[in-house]
Amino acid sequence: MKKYYQISGQISEFSDLPFWKKADVVDLVYVGYGLLIVALVVVSYILGSVNLLPRDPQDIDLQLIMAPPGTAGRLLGTDFMGRDILSRLIVGIQAYFLPGLLAILIALCFGTGFGVLVGYRGEKFDTGITYFTNLVDSFPRLVLILLVIAAFKPDIYYIMLVVGLTNVPVVASLVKGKIQFLKQKNFIEADIALGLPTRIIIFRHILWHHCRSLLIIQATLGMAEAILIETSLSYLGFGVQEPTPSWGNMVQSGANYFMQGKFWPSTAPALAILFTILAFHLLGDGLNNILEDKRST
Amino acid sequence: MKFSAIRPIALVLSRELVITVLLLLGVSFVVFIILFASPGDPFSVLLEGQLSTAEAKAGLRDAMGVPRSWYVQYLAWLAGMLSGNFGTSIRMGLPVLPEVLRVGFSTLILTIGSLIITLLIAVPIALYSALRGTNKISWPLTMSSYVISALPVFWLGYIVIYFFTHKLGLFPIAFGFSSAGQKYRWLYQLLPIFVLGVGNGTISEVIRYLRQEMGRVMAEDYIRTARAKGASVWKHAFKEGLLIPVTEIIASKIPFILGGAVIVEQVFNWPGMGRMAWQAAQDRDYPVIMGIAILAAVFVRMGSLFQRVVYVAVNPRASKE
Repeated sequence: MKKYYQISGQISEFSDLPFWKKADVVDLVYVGYGLLIVALVVVSYILGSVNLLPRDPQDIDLQLIMAPPGTAGRLLGTDFMGRDILSRLIVGIQAYFLPGLLAILIALCFGTGFGVLVGYRGEKFDTGITYFTNLVDSFPRLVLILLVIAAFKPDIYYIMLVVGLTNVPVVASLVKGKIQFLKQKNFIEADIALGLPTRIIIFRHILWHHCRSLLIIQATLGMAEAILIETSLSYLGFGVQEPTPSWGNMVQSGANYFMQGKFWPSTAPALAILFTILAFHLLGDGLNNILEDKRST
Repeated sequence: MKFSAIRPIALVLSRELVITVLLLLGVSFVVFIILFASPGDPFSVLLEGQLSTAEAKAGLRDAMGVPRSWYVQYLAWLAGMLSGNFGTSIRMGLPVLPEVLRVGFSTLILTIGSLIITLLIAVPIALYSALRGTNKISWPLTMSSYVISALPVFWLGYIVIYFFTHKLGLFPIAFGFSSAGQKYRWLYQLLPIFVLGVGNGTISEVIRYLRQEMGRVMAEDYIRTARAKGASVWKHAFKEGLLIPVTEIIASKIPFILGGAVIVEQVFNWPGMGRMAWQAAQDRDYPVIMGIAILAAVFVRMGSLFQRVVYVAVNPRASKE
């Protein structure tokens, strides 16, 4: 049987090559870096939650204030109260990890639901979804979150609920687009002609076989956004409060010493934010290029 | 411009205006619902420590002229807004609308300025890598755009302040409009505009989108024809390959940049909408933050209105869709 494939770029969707062979090296590097950092974050999260830390993150040591990185026993130095920055960075992951997963879960569940509804059950909901998308896009996300904070309370789970809900239209429109693409290819028609029950068509054939990679990509991008929002809010003083560490409030509290030339206490968490968000972005884009067979979105 | 060229624009403009009004109604409804669902109402605070039975609360509501049902409350609030009454700030004791408009103007300057900076950085990189493909120059540029997009904007702000004001002494510590009366005060505003333009986290996305669109247009048959007959490729590719994508980017990135403005205004002490929203969220001063949310939505809708108008002006067939 003839195989239709070309090297990267326009690969036929019927290519039999495994995905790592037809992928660009650059994309594989992106995904590799992304997976490495994600693994690091997950491991650190687990270590932090079972309290396996280099040092107690709340332990104040007034003999060692603002120690530079590399000081004995304190790999990344200490902050303005002599607390170990590395331990605080590890514990800081807890500020966004579970809330971020919640935001992703909400976006994916509701997004897929709406997307299947519109894509599969006809166009009559289409204008409704477009209107809803435009409505959500009309709010700058941070302003909407500040509104929710003012109305309710500055709780990270409320905030992530908002982040998740505002991502619903994006996921819905992607799933809808995918289903419409499959309809063009007479894919769903063929399924119905085979007499398959709707449940199997939607869950196994559409969602599992064709939307799987798309949803994984959205999950990684959603996590990047959740981290960005959490760090921004805790920087602004609305998220996790001192003394509990979060990357955002670590940058904020270290910033007071920035003008004295002591960069480290705020640079360490800022670099953590930078590398983690970069990892989730590169992972999402690399996976998008590899699994969705397109070079860019 | 001929009349035949204006007509489709007018058609689209009127239709989009109707959509904009509908969307703003939706925005006001969402804002109302969030506040309506929030726990604790002013009446229980007023009756605190007193006989707070259900009848007492209902009596107080009647005495203060507050309608019972939510839709009457919404309509009353909406009617107030339409006549320019956005309520009174709890903290400042001032009417919300003039205050929000005042800071909204300075945020508008920040937003438009940073959009220009973003485009000034993104467009050359995107054009270069669309025309030349991935090579030794464009790949590092693309990669660094990824890194810049992941940079936390508050930290970038501190670095820029440290180097420009602390080390070099080029800019004063007070930014924005607080330095009124000085001769080159607009120069001081460049720093926050630059920081937000670089660090708003959208540069890599903007570059990718522009490159993809330009690449798509460059592969079209009419560009090949233009090239074959020796006509200017740039002239043929400009409208579809650059103008329309750029306006789309402007329209879709305004919400992100307004969100980033909340942080940059905080770092630079810029007296804008974001700073006021932050203050209002701290004080739970919700009349203010409602006004800000609605004004921000107006900015966003104006951006997409602009995008539609440019789109139809370039491609009049679109008005018949």
